[in-house]
Amino acid sequence: MTRKVDSSIPGVSRGIEGLDVESLRRVIQEEYTLVAVEPDRDFHFHTGRRLAAILSYDEEWLDAVPEATIASFAGTGNPFSLGRLAAGEHVVDIGCGAGIDSIIAATMVGPSGSVVGVDMTPAMIEKARQGAKEAELHNVVFRQGLGESLPVADSWADVVISNGVLNLFPDKLAALREMERVLKPDGRLQIGDILVQKAVPDNGKRDINLWKG
Amino acid sequence: MIAAGFVDFEIAWRGDVYAGAPQSSSAAQFGTLGINFRARKAHDEAEWAEALGMLTCDA
Repeated sequence: MTRKVDSSIPGVSRGIEGLDVESLRRVIQEEYTLVAVEPDRDFHFHTGRRLAAILSYDEEWLDAVPEATIASFAGTGNPFSLGRLAAGEHVVDIGCGAGIDSIIAATMVGPSGSVVGVDMTPAMIEKARQGAKEAELHNVVFRQGLGESLPVADSWADVVISNGVLNLFPDKLAALREMERVLKPDGRLQIGDILVQKAVPDNGKRDINLWKG
Repeated sequence: MIAAGFVDFEIAWRGDVYAGAPQSSSAAQFGTLGINFRARKAHDEAEWAEALGMLTCDA
């Protein structure tokens, strides 16, 4: 489908004027590299098993996930609480981090299914690959890339999952349109993210320190 | 969401996922909550156009 959308549609915004996107990506990569290599540090968000418990991850799901992968978990929701994935489904995990959700998804879809995890942070991709190898999963691959230009073919996925990542995209519409591009018609989004109940002022939207916490 | 080609958007859960985090943050300042949401890619152009039309009428 060709989407003819523009900023005249209510609620649609394209990027943030005055925001240094490259600097923002660099700061986010630095933060999440620390989550990958030093997960026991104190962050402004919960991590690891404690976070998984807060978000009601089933212990059964975590049984398949290596402990080092769980330690670097830093999501804000639970995509699987929105519905279990079916055997044979194709799944894209955007901003997969250390790979906890990709590994859970790969277990759910089984050997006839396939999972692609995408993250822009090299340390996370490396850790995710190690986790999948340790879990002896052959139906999941990890690719370094940006959510705004996913390294995934058109209409490949039955489901797109993501967890705590969409809020980090300056151009939400571009990210959502990429999700739409890789999904089949009637394909599902199952997303964990955040919302703010008080509006962030324009100068705050340009403050990179605010984006990271 | 509709502008990007999705329909059936629903926030299914929201919760305070930052309470008690090791470091303080701006989360409380803006009432930040964790959420789970779902949506579905429109089946075809007609379904998307219908959803978009309803959005425009509501605005």
